[in-house]
Amino acid sequence: MSYNKDQQLSFRELADWVIGQTKKAGANDCKVSLSKRRIVEINYRDRKPDVIKEATTQNLYLEVLINKRYAGQSTPDFRQSTLAGFINDVVSNAKMMEEDPFRTLPDPKYYEGRSTADLQLNDPDYSKLTPENRHIMAKTVEDVCLQKGGKKVISVEAGEYDESYDELIKTSNGFEGSAQSTYFQAGASMTIQDEGDRRPEGYNYIGSRYKNDLPPLEEIGNEAVRRTFDLMQGKKIPTTKLPIILENQGVARVLGGLFDPLSGGSIQQKRSFLADKKGKKIGSKLFTIQDDPYIPRGLGSKYYDGDGFPAIKRDLLIEGTINEFLVDWYYSRKLGWEPTSGSISNLIIPPGTRSVDAIIKDLDRCIFITGYIGGNSNSTTGDFSVGVIGKLYEKGKFVQNIAEMNIAGNHLNFWNKLVEVANDPWIYSQARLPSLVIDDVVVAGI
Amino acid sequence: MKSIPRRKFIQGAALAGGALIALPVLKACKFLDAQSSGNYFLKEFGIDETLCRKLLAKALSKGGDFADLYFEYSVSNYLGLEDGKVNQSYGDISLGVGIRTVKGDQIGYGFTQDLTENSMMSAAATASTLCEASATKAEASFIPLKTGNYYPVDPDFNGIPGNSKLPLLQTVNEKCFSLSPEIVKVSAGFSSSAKRIMIVTSDGTKAEDLMPYGYVYSSVVAERNGKREQAGWSLGGRRDLSYYTDQVINEVATKSVNSALKLFDAIQPPAGEVPVVLGPGVTGVLLHEAIGHGMEADFNRKKTSTYTTMLGKKVAEPFVTIIDDGTNLNLSGSINVDDEGTPGQKTILVENGILTSYLHDKISAKHYGVKPTGNGRRQDFQNYPIPRMRNTYMLGGNATADDVIKQAGNGIYVENVSNGEVKIGEGDFAFYVSQGRMIENGKLTAPIKDVNIMGNGPKMLENITMAANDLEMFQGGGGQCGKNGQGVPVSFGMPTCLVKSLTVGGTQQKGGQK
Repeated sequence: MSYNKDQQLSFRELADWVIGQTKKAGANDCKVSLSKRRIVEINYRDRKPDVIKEATTQNLYLEVLINKRYAGQSTPDFRQSTLAGFINDVVSNAKMMEEDPFRTLPDPKYYEGRSTADLQLNDPDYSKLTPENRHIMAKTVEDVCLQKGGKKVISVEAGEYDESYDELIKTSNGFEGSAQSTYFQAGASMTIQDEGDRRPEGYNYIGSRYKNDLPPLEEIGNEAVRRTFDLMQGKKIPTTKLPIILENQGVARVLGGLFDPLSGGSIQQKRSFLADKKGKKIGSKLFTIQDDPYIPRGLGSKYYDGDGFPAIKRDLLIEGTINEFLVDWYYSRKLGWEPTSGSISNLIIPPGTRSVDAIIKDLDRCIFITGYIGGNSNSTTGDFSVGVIGKLYEKGKFVQNIAEMNIAGNHLNFWNKLVEVANDPWIYSQARLPSLVIDDVVVAGI
Repeated sequence: MKSIPRRKFIQGAALAGGALIALPVLKACKFLDAQSSGNYFLKEFGIDETLCRKLLAKALSKGGDFADLYFEYSVSNYLGLEDGKVNQSYGDISLGVGIRTVKGDQIGYGFTQDLTENSMMSAAATASTLCEASATKAEASFIPLKTGNYYPVDPDFNGIPGNSKLPLLQTVNEKCFSLSPEIVKVSAGFSSSAKRIMIVTSDGTKAEDLMPYGYVYSSVVAERNGKREQAGWSLGGRRDLSYYTDQVINEVATKSVNSALKLFDAIQPPAGEVPVVLGPGVTGVLLHEAIGHGMEADFNRKKTSTYTTMLGKKVAEPFVTIIDDGTNLNLSGSINVDDEGTPGQKTILVENGILTSYLHDKISAKHYGVKPTGNGRRQDFQNYPIPRMRNTYMLGGNATADDVIKQAGNGIYVENVSNGEVKIGEGDFAFYVSQGRMIENGKLTAPIKDVNIMGNGPKMLENITMAANDLEMFQGGGGQCGKNGQGVPVSFGMPTCLVKSLTVGGTQQKGGQK
């Protein structure tokens, strides 16, 4: 099933052929998404390779519209001989569906205006990374963890992972988009001996589009050690109400509960507690959230969204007020609204001016939350509850690590208690968020 | 992107947000025939023993203790209903082979979607790069593995035309609306898949299986006095279409609607440590998180589990027996054979309060000098097998459910759970209670909802002080356990039982202080 010609050209030729065949089979419209991904993963443990994994995968996803009926199906098999049967199957499936007047490809006018900026998603030096380089990366991180961890270390698993991804998407009504991207990741998870049978496991994995954007490997290992030792002697304390600081890299775990309710699908399906809140205030003045697809080398950066709409920079919330919902083409038609975009790219909360350390010094008593466990968020009511791990401070001084505790609330009042934003956006994620200080939160424990 | 090392259970079909990953299921496929499971890959793809020997020889060309080949062909379909119409059909085809070379506890792994000899030899060569010694020999012939059949299905289960499934969803929709005028939205889905696998090992075993899997679910939104609540339910497992009778469809609809309506009166319990009574069935998620993951032997051979030093020791009261079982009929976690060629079987983890066994794959079994327990599972051919749970449950005790609730005094009663997570080394776990009740003076009172409960696995085991005689297995589909980025279907079971103390999350401190 290999497809040997020039990748980009071949993808386009194949997409054109599939569109032609699908229309011949009776479809009014269709959309073809072709992708190919190469991954390499090397893990070390006990100073020897624990896992070596490498492969290339490909996928064709075909969406068919026929008389307002819809079906989608994927296959890894690109052979034209078998694709003919596959196309007929997808068309048959679509015919089986009930008619849905809202199911169409987007009006082509919404495809216009795509950015031509170079988002630098594809590291030109990807192919220069050799197997030896990869082993050295994993070994270096492991060495740091073992040396710095000392006698407390029970186990270290350190690794390197990288991938190269190509895609081409084409519709029968004029959209064509393609993207190539790379991703590199290095890090480690480690387990250390604590009191009794407790063996805290901490980790630090850092990813970036360009290999040279990764922090020094020693730094990655050191951070894995620090985060793991920060879990020592974690205990719950009596249930208390106090300010909490959500560490930058974990903010999305709590904030994430807002995005499903912001979506057109949830709103149309009456599963959103935010449905009637557009233009209304749901957070403090510091609660501004931007969606920016144009950050060079950003992990969420992109040229177009799932409907083929050009990605645009937008404000989802401005000073606590909801400015825009996430409305894709299908649900825009069901709602009778203009579409925006149903997906997010890079999330940004404008950073403040002070470091977390400086903020902690000014708080009488607070918990710095560095990890989460379990939990969920109800998109219909806005209630959420999640287990937390972190550090207790009093008058700026560290008191103890905490574990087995929980925070809960409702998004409609939780974000009104956002009283300060730190100056430390976490850039190794699509959620490029800084640490946030939330006042008066009940942290449940004993 | 590579996932971080976390262990999670997500009950996909009953997520509070109604989120559902639409994957597996069956379309009319002429080639997947339950009655002729033997030699499928030979017949369809020309994978014969000569080729397998060649691939294994390549995988072991630089040494290694053993190598194996995992061929997979799966077809999955999902039909979705929204706003009264079955208007979404999604499907996925997965085909490929994963080739593993193992030396001690080290793994070399290559995979390809292209079942041509050249491409598979290249994947075998990737796996072989783990070693740097002289070649190891594979067995010259492969003996077919004899297994049980824990999911007997209609031979035609995969050939059912999609349009015969549409009425199921339409019935769910109508039933939900008919049960209450307060229901304002219904969504429903039917998911099914057939996975064909063949495992060939260098120690001379060949195993084939055809694994059905699917579920029907409904999720409803109810509205009362301007307030909305949602709830859902699913039923499924390794079954064919004949399982989805009117009675099953009725149960899915009725549980969804009743659960949603009950939430209008629900409160959040006070935060802090309280006695917790787990109702029968789905609350077995707690076992899955609190003990199951910690008993997976890879964590123990690496000494990263809190249970590493507890084998053979008393970990619970004598009435507590906990089992992980691949042989339950038609449950989601049942397997005729695991994904490295060990027959499906039953493994006792805790017997009369004593920790008796870990859950082993071949690597950990060799490490501990025991037989593999049939827990080597993987998501698909793109992943190598690791120890995973199947159906995990605790046997019932002698009490009645009423006795257990009475004994709790004041606490909470857990009826439905949507997801959970554990930290292996510390043993700390959490599970999210989507539905429950307050217990006041030994009686069930106000409904509760949306509460995360935290605990520590070994402490929780010690604190199970009473169990009723009403063990119930969770029959839902769509439940996925995630570990190291791999999802596999699992199930669990639980009798009504009392845990002396767990931490309940909430916004209210005890005594009513907000």
